[in-house]
Amino acid sequence: MKVLVFGEVVDGTIQNITYELVACAKKLGEYLTLVTSDADVSSIDGRVIKVNAGETNPWHYKIVEKVIERENPDLILFGNTSSSVDIASQLSAKLPVATSVYEVSAENGEVIVKSLSYGGKIIVELKLTTPAIAVVNVGSYNAEDGKGTASVEEIEIDELGVRDGIEFLGYIKPEEEDVDISKAEVVVSVGRGIGDETNIEMAEELAELLGGVVAGSRPIIDQGWLPKTRQVGRSGKTVTGKLYLALGISGATEHVEGVKAKNVIAVNTDKTAPIFRVSRLGIVADVNELLPTLVDKIREIKEG
Amino acid sequence: MKICAILRLVPDLVEEIEVEENEIIPFRYMPNERDEHAVEEAIILKEKTGAEVEVIGIADSENEADLDEGLGMAAAKGADKLYKVVLDRPTYKRCEIAKALADFLSDKNYDLILTGIQAIDSYAGNLGGILARYMDLPYIGGVVEVNVSNGNTIVKKELGGGLLAEYKLPLPAVVSVVSAERPLKFVPFTKLRQAMKKANIEEVELELPEIEGVEVLKYEVPPEPEITLIEGDVEEVADKLIEALKELSIL
Amino acid sequence: MLETYFERINEIPNSDKFIQCIQCGTCGGSCPYGMGTLFTPRRMILAVRAGIVDEVLQSGAQWLCTSCFTCSLRCPSQIPITDAVIPALRELSLLEGNPPEELAAALMNITRYGNSFRESPRKRDRWIKEVDFEVPLISKKKKAEYLFITECFGAYHRRCKEITKAFAKLMDLLGTDYAILGNEERCIGDLVRLCGEFGLFEDLAEKNIRVFEKYEFSKIVTHDAHAYNALLREYPRFGFKKEVVHHTQFLYNNLEKLKEMFGKLDYTVTYHDSCYVGRRNGIYEEPRAVIKAIPGVKFVEMKRIKENALCCGGGGGGVWLDSFIKDHIKERPAESRVKEAASVGADVLVTACTLDVPMFEDALKVTGLEGQLEVKDISEIILEAIENS
Repeated sequence: MKVLVFGEVVDGTIQNITYELVACAKKLGEYLTLVTSDADVSSIDGRVIKVNAGETNPWHYKIVEKVIERENPDLILFGNTSSSVDIASQLSAKLPVATSVYEVSAENGEVIVKSLSYGGKIIVELKLTTPAIAVVNVGSYNAEDGKGTASVEEIEIDELGVRDGIEFLGYIKPEEEDVDISKAEVVVSVGRGIGDETNIEMAEELAELLGGVVAGSRPIIDQGWLPKTRQVGRSGKTVTGKLYLALGISGATEHVEGVKAKNVIAVNTDKTAPIFRVSRLGIVADVNELLPTLVDKIREIKEG
Repeated sequence: MKICAILRLVPDLVEEIEVEENEIIPFRYMPNERDEHAVEEAIILKEKTGAEVEVIGIADSENEADLDEGLGMAAAKGADKLYKVVLDRPTYKRCEIAKALADFLSDKNYDLILTGIQAIDSYAGNLGGILARYMDLPYIGGVVEVNVSNGNTIVKKELGGGLLAEYKLPLPAVVSVVSAERPLKFVPFTKLRQAMKKANIEEVELELPEIEGVEVLKYEVPPEPEITLIEGDVEEVADKLIEALKELSIL
Repeated sequence: MLETYFERINEIPNSDKFIQCIQCGTCGGSCPYGMGTLFTPRRMILAVRAGIVDEVLQSGAQWLCTSCFTCSLRCPSQIPITDAVIPALRELSLLEGNPPEELAAALMNITRYGNSFRESPRKRDRWIKEVDFEVPLISKKKKAEYLFITECFGAYHRRCKEITKAFAKLMDLLGTDYAILGNEERCIGDLVRLCGEFGLFEDLAEKNIRVFEKYEFSKIVTHDAHAYNALLREYPRFGFKKEVVHHTQFLYNNLEKLKEMFGKLDYTVTYHDSCYVGRRNGIYEEPRAVIKAIPGVKFVEMKRIKENALCCGGGGGGVWLDSFIKDHIKERPAESRVKEAASVGADVLVTACTLDVPMFEDALKVTGLEGQLEVKDISEIILEAIENS
């Protein structure tokens, strides 16, 4: 099976999802990656076609169409992310598509996928006739497996004969204090069990190491240890990312209502703390003792 | 200017859905939340520009009554016209709707068609982009703010991690909304009931084509993630936690 | 806008007293949020008289009220501030479409699911599967002396469910002829009414009464102070005429039997008069008598008791206004209240309203009194005394 990966570029940087998709494609057969914006593509494993068509833009679906004509892939993989979905959904007017996919396999020339639908409550297994499109969830495949050395072919946009219909006007970057915890993939959240304010810094360091943000339960916000924008729960925000790491949070109903992350790991001294009821992994420990050790160990791994 | 917003019904996840291998039986349906945001954004545009707003509700014959509340809500907020499109379709896949809807919308002359970015049951395609291609209109999704001026729409699109980008599209266009500029307006019970009573709803039946290429093999309930409780000394539990983070490919 | 306001006010008993406001300021002086608001009830009335309702609504003052009823009780002109002046202002805010988000979500959930928790109405009776005795459903039993109303918090809230279970267990031990509505029960709606969602309240009342009429029972018993209040004072307007008993009264009426079952408890206990048990409905002595009857218990009083008791902050929609209120005041009433309980040497704070328990337990975390003071509903301490025998 021949697989075309749509490489995602945001603000001049190849996004991690691209490597994850390459990792997926590798398991299915022959693969190549198309990148439609200017970025350093050298670490993408395998063949790469690069078309410099400006910043990420929904009209780039026309470029993908041209490359499909040229390469005849059986399957085109997109990340389930804002700018990739714009393109995938327009192409799916012509090609069979499955969205929210977390597992792709090939059988007798047909594509079989598993989609996590209905808010994660039901798995739908689908068979797509080729050529087909799969929109794959972030975190379904290991990005490291998709990294390697690229062999890059550049194509001038004029050669493809497609035109722009939509104008990119510019990025609006978030101010540091406006981190939206509801959109973060990894949230390190602290509760009363954290003890005193100085431990917040350590939680922040942990969050940074994990590529996430720090949030808190209400008592922490009330103390003024974290700004109101970081509050999780009924009177705060709902977190929906990949991991919610609850440190010293007991898990009152009001709090748990805001925890909709795909994976919850909780650390609490109380074995019967209700937070454990919504967790996949529970660690019975004192956060204040665990945090320094954990941060040291992760720092070592990161630097190591 | 004339705007429409699409309002789809999806299974209400608060209620348990019965899952069998070849079908799912939801207990009841509710408006798709992202579509409610599309309706809200249409109302906001009406406030900004005086545009005429039409809301197109989509349901199946067995759940069309569940659509009334959503349409009433739209009317109470200021929608000028409501449609109830009842689908006649052979299977419960989601990709065919765009085709039938494109035909239905083709003679309505909307300057802007708003939809929600996705529906919880749209495992076989997102409506907005497909609709745009069938209608041959420019498209953008992931939008959190829509403005209109001089025959163009300027939208703010979310790119993740708090990053936004601005794009300009010539009208008419199809735009998929993640969330409206403001929280959904609250509609008190009495106002909702009055709006539902007064609402002028045009009912339309649409036959859906069967589109080949996507076949549901089976539905299944994901296994319950079982909680593993770890106790021990700090070193030990820290290692176990790190292992778990690696499994989730966060480390 | 003023027209809508007066139309609503005029539907509420005794609101003709509105014109008798002498602007004395007793209300604002009595209000737990008095110093956090631009518009105390006195100034609200003044603003309505001056036709500047807009300014009140913009200030958000209408949401800074926990319906604790202190102002209404103390008002020399007996103006129904809690039942009319404030809810009618809140209704205007709801009509404008922008109440605080948390509250809007709760009201939407009640409209859609009959509970504020966004839980399936088909799971309302789930708690009966978590107890080791049989809880009778009225749909099966058809006839009972008492219909036990659990209300939303008692049915769904993790902590409040424990109170429901404890009280059901007590009825079971006492051999009471009771039953529950199970999944046929829906929100009774007192908080909905106090939030100014009058249309929804009427709808809930009508639907609930229709369900009540299907079955034969002579009294309603409930541990939910607001359900008690609405069933007692509001539902008769819609044609419901049965006797309503609060669980403190029920326990008091069964005290002789309970005494025979009591073991010893080595606690210093203080009692919090919940607003809609005490101040609004005059039940002060029954719960005290019941607690004092437990052997070994040392009973102490706080300073602010009975009609002067401080509110927990959860009523009148306060449970759904937490972050809004926190933006306007320094210390939540619940925090002040648990400190008061600790200061008189209590190790258990007993209450008689389901809203109180999570409000106070939360306050224990914020004030650092966790471990020093425990919060229990009256039915929980009674059950503990029995289990200790």
